[in-house]
Amino acid sequence: MRKGWIRVLSAFAMTASFLAGCGGDASEDQPAVRQRTEDASVVIAMDPNSEPAAGFDPAYGWGAGEHVHEPLIQSTLTVTNTDLTIGYDLATDYTVSEDGLTWTVTIRDDVKFTDGEALTAEDVAFTYNTVKDSSSVNDFTMLDHAEAPDDTTVVFYMTRPFSIWPYTMANVGIVPEHVYDSASYGADPVGSGRYILKQWDRGQQVILEANPDYYGEIPQMKQVTILFMEEDAAFLAVQAGEVDLAYTSATYSDQEIGGYSLASYASVDNRGFNLPAVEEGEDSGGRTVGNDFTSDVLVRRAVNIGIDRQEMIDHVLNGHGSPAYSVCDQLPWYNEASEVEYDPEGAAALLDEAGWKMGDDGIREKDGRKAELNLLYAAGDSVRQALAADFADQLGELGISCTLEGVDWDTAYDRALSDPLIWGWGAHTPMELYNIYHTAEGSDSAEYSPYSNSTVDAYMDQALASGGLEESYKLWQQAQWDGTTGVTQDGDVPWVWLVNIDHLYWVRDGLNVAEQKIHPHGHGWSIVNNVDQWNWKG
Amino acid sequence: MKSMTRIKTNQRLWTTVFFLAAVVILAAVTAAGILTEGYAVETDFSQRNLSPSRQHLFGTDWMGRDMLARTLSGLSLSIRIGVLTAAVSAAVALLLGTASAVFGGKADAAISWCIDLVMGIPHILLVMLISLACGRGFAGVVAGVALSHWPSLARVVRGEIIQLRQAPYILVAEKMGVSKLQNIRRHMLPHLFPQFLTGLILLFPHAILHEASVTFLGFGLSSEQPAIGVILSESMQYLTTGKWWLALFPGLALVLVVTLFALLGERVRRLLDPSSVHD
Repeated sequence: MRKGWIRVLSAFAMTASFLAGCGGDASEDQPAVRQRTEDASVVIAMDPNSEPAAGFDPAYGWGAGEHVHEPLIQSTLTVTNTDLTIGYDLATDYTVSEDGLTWTVTIRDDVKFTDGEALTAEDVAFTYNTVKDSSSVNDFTMLDHAEAPDDTTVVFYMTRPFSIWPYTMANVGIVPEHVYDSASYGADPVGSGRYILKQWDRGQQVILEANPDYYGEIPQMKQVTILFMEEDAAFLAVQAGEVDLAYTSATYSDQEIGGYSLASYASVDNRGFNLPAVEEGEDSGGRTVGNDFTSDVLVRRAVNIGIDRQEMIDHVLNGHGSPAYSVCDQLPWYNEASEVEYDPEGAAALLDEAGWKMGDDGIREKDGRKAELNLLYAAGDSVRQALAADFADQLGELGISCTLEGVDWDTAYDRALSDPLIWGWGAHTPMELYNIYHTAEGSDSAEYSPYSNSTVDAYMDQALASGGLEESYKLWQQAQWDGTTGVTQDGDVPWVWLVNIDHLYWVRDGLNVAEQKIHPHGHGWSIVNNVDQWNWKG
Repeated sequence: MKSMTRIKTNQRLWTTVFFLAAVVILAAVTAAGILTEGYAVETDFSQRNLSPSRQHLFGTDWMGRDMLARTLSGLSLSIRIGVLTAAVSAAVALLLGTASAVFGGKADAAISWCIDLVMGIPHILLVMLISLACGRGFAGVVAGVALSHWPSLARVVRGEIIQLRQAPYILVAEKMGVSKLQNIRRHMLPHLFPQFLTGLILLFPHAILHEASVTFLGFGLSSEQPAIGVILSESMQYLTTGKWWLALFPGLALVLVVTLFALLGERVRRLLDPSSVHD
């Protein structure tokens, strides 16, 4: 009983301690900050979820997976440029065979691991063969195996053509074959990247130190300390002047903290609803699949143009976001035909056309059935909840009555097959389009929401089989809209995209954060992708 | 002497008045909560994060929902869950406590073992566990709270009945051939009633707080429901930015309701307790 009391009343304790503490201003720990400026060192507060559970091992998800970022400690073959095209890190060139099944990559010969051993093509081949066997977060089924014919050439033999392989190569940190042990590497990584892992206190912090023998440009920031803290703790740490850069969210964006400014970086970290595109039924596993209301393409189109995305951004994100029209806005494979104008009259006309007539109670009806949707959101995510609520309000104005339901991720995937769920996507690879829209192997529907279009599938298959990236971008764009069919407004609209959430940070005055490439989904390590180019003014 | 009696009569009267007032307040909160349930989940993004004012006495949250309406619906939901779970718990307690005392022997050992088992696990943990196993949400919370709160009352019932069994009038009744069940029904239960009712009412605050706790911790009611636990856990995120009204009023209201229930139980005990019947 006493425990119950304590837990519930802790809310008050927090209020009380806050009220007691809110008198003071942000008190900067000046000597420490001056020291950091002189030493070119920076302290960053990051979300506790960003801490890699399995350590800094690329085979166990470091740098890859849902939240992609540069591995920092290891080098990669390629990198993504600021415009998300492909650049080189270790690689000096790559070619792909006509049939798309053999990739030959030549690499630099002047790279050493931090233990002094040279990095050779053997290490590269070893890394890829290892991640293929053990990676649980990335898909490597397209790779058959890798070989190193000599010290600077690595050859990848594929199981199927995969034109966007350079994007996969941008995520895989190269590990040294001579010391790699899957049991200990995660906690004690040896790499050839810009930074060396100096210290890792699990659950608390990671300290990175610049690699003195780095083959590329010498890192300007010599030491990077990353503290893992919850959002409110990070906010308090900024108020106390303890960190130089801290992640934050729209909730705090109206606050002002002396000595800090709010930095906002564009992202493709989007939020959108899936709209099940088939009629309700049951699949072989007994799950309900499909939704009678959203199965009508006119309804989905009405929803897509009936949503005022800017209003949503102002309401929920305090203005820190941009309208989203696809899962890959502004990336090289984005098709601008995805963009739509907010048009409530047009939406109403579409609903009328679909037979959903406005009823006396403000809710549309068709054949005695009401226009109703049950919108799902991940419980505990206040931004998604608010976006879902605003979406529901806006649909209400169109005459569609919505209820909200918070669900956990263990049931959300199944539930989303029949009810729209608010998702977050946005990766630095076109493969995401494939994952969302392509009919899943061995089934008649895409994986996350019931939908299938053979033309769209064909474009994506061609894109993967195409000879070059440029050519593949075109095909990815055509998969979205080719002039007659696709997944955009005039096409099938199986998903409605709402907003791209700007990633917000408190940045101490005097800290120069280098230009950021468009951030992917996940508010974590992507900010430090180029921490080596940050510096302190003066 | 006369004046003394009057004061004591007044005390009894006051107790009754307080009792009725508490019942009326709680009933009013429950009814108001049911009536405002729709309004409590209504979002109005043009009215976000407003501090308490005349339009919104308890302020509004980050989605522009009225906190007064949310607090009322939350309390109402809590009270309803409290009543339901306390009733189930009390019924289980009565059944098991009586069975244990009357049948004795192996039945007593088995039931006492169950009581010890349930009491041995930290309450909040048990509630979370059961709630999780039952799929959280309303059903989960009700099952969790109802199945974890009966042991102490069951123990009281058992002790009381064991004592009663040795009472002369029960022994006489037994000797005169009154059957076991009838003996329980006609002679033991009426005697047990005051303690039982007090125990029942004192279960409410436990039940309500535990419902709020597990919901607060994310193992209870779903986040779209206007429950006090949900309100408090949502408010945590906004406290550091100075939105004190999000936690203060709902929290205070919860404490008030719980206190009211506790006092109510105390008054009921006084009204029913034979030793104070002449006060």
